[in-house]
Amino acid sequence: MDLSLITFVQILVAVIAIICLMVANAVVMVYVERKVAGFIQRRPGPYEVGPWGTIQAICDSMKLLAKQIFVPANVDLVLFFLAPVLAFFPVLLLFLPIPFGPYLTPWKTPDGLVLILAFAGFGVLSNLLAGWASNNKYGVLGAARAVSQSIAYEIPLMLALMAVVFQAGSLNLSVIVEKQGWVPWEWNIVTQPLAFFIYLICLVAETNRAPFDLPEAESELTAGFHTEYSGMGFALFFLSEYANMLLVSFICATFFLGGYKGPIIDGFWWTIIKAYAVMVFIVWIRWTFPRVRFDQLLNINWKWLLPLGLLNLWITAIIIKVVN
Amino acid sequence: MASWLNFINPFTIDDDPGTYLGDFYTDNFEKGAQKGNVILNLGPQHPSTHGVLRVLVELYGEYVLRSEPVLGYLHRMQEKMGEVKTPYQYLPNMGRVDYLNPIAWNWAYAGAVELLAGIEVPERAEYLRIISAELNRISSHLLWWGAFVLDLGGVTPILYAFEEREKINDILQIVTGSRLTMNYFRFGGVGQDGDERFFALIGEFIPYMRERLKMYKDLVTDNVILRRRLEGIGPMDRDLCLRYGATGPILRAAGVDYDTRKAIPYGLYHKFEYRVPIGPPNDNFGRYIMRLEEIEASLTILSQAIESIPQGKHIIDKAPKPAYKLPPGEVFFAVEGARGQVICHILSDGGKTPYRIKLRAPGFSNLSLFAEAAKGTILADAIAILGSLDLVIPEVDR
Amino acid sequence: MFRAIWDNIKGIYSLLVGMAVTWDFFFSPRYTIHYPRKVVERENLENYRGPLELTRGKKEQDQTRCISCQLCVKACPGHCLKVTKGKESKSPESWLYDFSLCCLCGACVEVCPTGALAFSHKVYMVTTTREALILDLLKDLKERVAETPLLVEAPDSTASQEPSAAVVKEA
Repeated sequence: MDLSLITFVQILVAVIAIICLMVANAVVMVYVERKVAGFIQRRPGPYEVGPWGTIQAICDSMKLLAKQIFVPANVDLVLFFLAPVLAFFPVLLLFLPIPFGPYLTPWKTPDGLVLILAFAGFGVLSNLLAGWASNNKYGVLGAARAVSQSIAYEIPLMLALMAVVFQAGSLNLSVIVEKQGWVPWEWNIVTQPLAFFIYLICLVAETNRAPFDLPEAESELTAGFHTEYSGMGFALFFLSEYANMLLVSFICATFFLGGYKGPIIDGFWWTIIKAYAVMVFIVWIRWTFPRVRFDQLLNINWKWLLPLGLLNLWITAIIIKVVN
Repeated sequence: MASWLNFINPFTIDDDPGTYLGDFYTDNFEKGAQKGNVILNLGPQHPSTHGVLRVLVELYGEYVLRSEPVLGYLHRMQEKMGEVKTPYQYLPNMGRVDYLNPIAWNWAYAGAVELLAGIEVPERAEYLRIISAELNRISSHLLWWGAFVLDLGGVTPILYAFEEREKINDILQIVTGSRLTMNYFRFGGVGQDGDERFFALIGEFIPYMRERLKMYKDLVTDNVILRRRLEGIGPMDRDLCLRYGATGPILRAAGVDYDTRKAIPYGLYHKFEYRVPIGPPNDNFGRYIMRLEEIEASLTILSQAIESIPQGKHIIDKAPKPAYKLPPGEVFFAVEGARGQVICHILSDGGKTPYRIKLRAPGFSNLSLFAEAAKGTILADAIAILGSLDLVIPEVDR
Repeated sequence: MFRAIWDNIKGIYSLLVGMAVTWDFFFSPRYTIHYPRKVVERENLENYRGPLELTRGKKEQDQTRCISCQLCVKACPGHCLKVTKGKESKSPESWLYDFSLCCLCGACVEVCPTGALAFSHKVYMVTTTREALILDLLKDLKERVAETPLLVEAPDSTASQEPSAAVVKEA
């Protein structure tokens, strides 16, 4: 891995672009989420601010910026303010190895998946710190849930992605996309349906979204680990939640849905369309299902997804061995 | 002192006894707690307690070892108000006791007064009473259904439930004039006769509601996540229910065939043919399905009632006026509300106002089951059990 | 083991059924009414009980029917009415009604011997102070008389709801 000056400048530019992408994504997704929720519930959703309520999300973020940050008594101040920052910044790095387009990869590294899986654990650390530092019993319960959930679901997630890696023979995300064709039946979703299914469940669980939103289950824990956060602290958690969603959707598009390849001209627009389709799917299931219980959540993982993932990996390995 | 010290050394732990925030209930509850367990205050402001109920729980990890509901945050002295107001003036209060099921409370009080004063109610008024009471039962169960699924984390169903609830409110508004705290019953009849639009809307509503129940089944009842959240959780057997005096769907889910409409018949309910659902599943799912089946039973009663409603007066000619005095005596009248048996007990000494009024709220008895049923469950299940009891806190506190 | 697998497959099918339901609702028309732009239909408000209003006299349509008998004041459970008798005649000098205390029970409407009171249908009443909720009903009656001087039908408590439909304009 040689970090020449050009690579360094490239990464710097990419990080700035990714920050813009994350913020823009949060604004768009807040709007999309509220609109989809509204339409599913037979109401118009945001409507008043701007044409069809399009400026609503920006106004909300302005409100969050201007709000006072309330610090409860006896909190651990360093960790209390560090946690939202930690939630936000590691996500930046995770976007680096993703091939957005044929010529648009922030950092072409041969082992991009390792980087993603290594840094994905940072998000849960911030949740733990936030819950612990805010001196709140709901926060601690939420943090404990967040840790055990994230750690549990990282394993089948990794197994599902490894099956694709076996098939492509590379950890490089660009190579994985290149090995897929442009028509849907040449995507990995056809050759690896089980891995896709496992990944889809893990994706919802890893991003703490309903029906697996136990760390912030509002009917049980009010708001879980970010109960005591207000203003910008809450906004950063919010931003990182949507950034995480975007990340797992991009990975889903890259690994299973053919990445930047599409029927007309290959390009980043296909990645974005596919990723946002996955995001809308996540939003759709959030507004449809009730929440699972915590022991059920872990049972799904350890008793079903993990054996299925191992089985899938095993079958993939045998087929690759036989074919070659 | 320590708040500014925290900025210098954030690792200072504030042990100042002045910041102690416990109260009488926490102090007493903490005495029985094992060392190392967490004592958590659910409420009085908590998303899942539906009002200002406070539940103290002792948690070991996520397991609820003990719990204790704390009441009285919404006490409005409804019983005392009955002693300072004439019977007629007290009538609008009944809509406020339980804002989700005002008609049943209307009926409990009006029925008790009529029984004491020996007032006969015209037949058409009895039919209108049954129609409004059953519509109100459906709307109450609908809101419970939505709120219960909301407790379990599903946000959308409550908004679908509100569509039907709005339709029922539109119908009941025609005769009662209001949408929430209805004051419909009068001594000797009802406040207003139903017009053609009223009966036509009910006729439209019955098939519509049956269609929607199918949608409920697809969206929620058959959902595997919901099933596994509810089945086998929080069993309340016959013994427990009888010990605490639980009534309504909770008692019937435990397999006790007790419905006030059949056990102590009142009104003209004996003229109708309907099935009271009785369950062997006495868990959360049993109570859930019991209420959905009760909606169907209420629809059956409604369709019979609008077909066979006779012509006549909706109120007797010499209906009691606001200054009406109760004759001396003691009377007891029970009504089947959406949550269980609603009882009004009046003791009158023949004065301007009743000497004493006792209102029996079903929610109060049902809530007392919680502490025992929630023992040893996970916190999420305890919340589900609390939701399955169908509590309306204004009614519990009165 | 196989039973558990079969249960899970059935469970996933039930999830798909649920998603189909929300999919249908996503494309179904909106149910809510967007309040400041649109309001509910008039017929939904026909029997709605808004704040009280004084009805018009049968013969002298610009006068109230109230004879200041104070029956409504005594009947009111919330003590929200204040009627002052006029010096010369029976008709009231002032008629104050505190809407913030009113529980809309209808005791006053039912007890009134002359039918001088009725519920209005003002559902969109908004104020920012408590004082603004103390309504002067005589003033309100005068305003209505100034708007529509004469009604064709004798206005009783139920027919006074739609004045605009039954107005004869004095040419």
